[in-house]
Amino acid sequence: MLVLDTLISVLSALVGTFGFGVLFHVKGKKLLFSSLGGMLGWFLYLMLFRWLDREVLCYFIVSIVISLYSEVMARWLKTPATPLAIIALIPLVPGGSLYYAIDFAVEGNWESFATKAAHTAGLAAALSVGIVLVHTVCRHIRWKHS
Amino acid sequence: MDQDLLKAILHIAERMTESGAEISRVEECIIRICKAYQCRHVDVYATTANIIVTVETAERIPLTQHRRISATGTDIDRLDRLNDLARYVVDHTPETAELRRRLDEIEARPRTPQPLIMLCYSIIPAAFCLLFGSRSPVECLFAGLIGFVLGLLIMLFERTKVNKIFARFLCSLVTAFLVKGLMLLHLITCPDYIIIGNIMTLIPGVGFTNALRDLFVGDMFTGTIRTVEAVLLAIAIAVGFAIPDLLVGGLL
Repeated sequence: MLVLDTLISVLSALVGTFGFGVLFHVKGKKLLFSSLGGMLGWFLYLMLFRWLDREVLCYFIVSIVISLYSEVMARWLKTPATPLAIIALIPLVPGGSLYYAIDFAVEGNWESFATKAAHTAGLAAALSVGIVLVHTVCRHIRWKHS
Repeated sequence: MDQDLLKAILHIAERMTESGAEISRVEECIIRICKAYQCRHVDVYATTANIIVTVETAERIPLTQHRRISATGTDIDRLDRLNDLARYVVDHTPETAELRRRLDEIEARPRTPQPLIMLCYSIIPAAFCLLFGSRSPVECLFAGLIGFVLGLLIMLFERTKVNKIFARFLCSLVTAFLVKGLMLLHLITCPDYIIIGNIMTLIPGVGFTNALRDLFVGDMFTGTIRTVEAVLLAIAIAVGFAIPDLLVGGLL
């Protein structure tokens, strides 16, 4: 059952990322590899979360791995890396967390709201910082080579 | 280098910014192109809202142009083609007419067909409804249908150029009301996954990452603007979702 559940989850990550790729006008091989990246990232997150149980840390690790994946793919497909990484990380965008934060606010449960809102910001920051860190480091490597 | 050529170069830069390019890359691109055309000195200042360039040509004539940018989005295909064009221009320094012709070619590229876009707007919420843990086909179906309505709204707002933050607010408000309606009709029991699935198409995930990216590479101004925009969008979405709950919460 667990395997089936993971499979459904991972496949929906693939479809969702693919949809976003089309909306952002990603074409051809780039679309294929950013969607695969989305699937890979979500799978990695599911596995890591089971093992580490610390969401923000998991987000950060997945963000770094997927950004590295995107850097490699970007060199190969001759396209900027960051858009690929951003699209591949879309399944991790904390929409769920934001929703539960709003839910607490509507209930007037301000303590839980504050915790959840801070958690949402933390997740978003972990994702973005991961992308940006890899991007900044890779930029310097490129610069030193040329 | 003359005013016409500079105008064409600014046109490339403008399109790059509109397609979601990093601001530092836009500046770098303008500098490299102008240097390729033998400019003695190039000064560029770009933000997501405007670009200003002053060059001193090989004949020591100073030229300045300014461009106001109104729209920003994400169009990877156009960005790739513009990057290729910029690289070509640096290597071959073509005449203004040739540069214009290539630019027009990029502008005339086939657009993503509307039905495909609508399909994506429907499939994304359904997929994320599943991803966030719903295992009910009915919920996915409704998530998709609401996504379709949202897609129509988003396209309408894009065409009428409604303020982006207000547009997002209205989108999330409509989604929340539709979900409430489904709840009142007893078609669904749990609103969570349908709403989360639809939040995903509205949430400024890309905007926030772009903002931090600009901050990290030192574009404090653009980074700040983008951060403020992303945070305001998130708040607008949150408020939109909260309103129907506060209004009709007592009915359920």
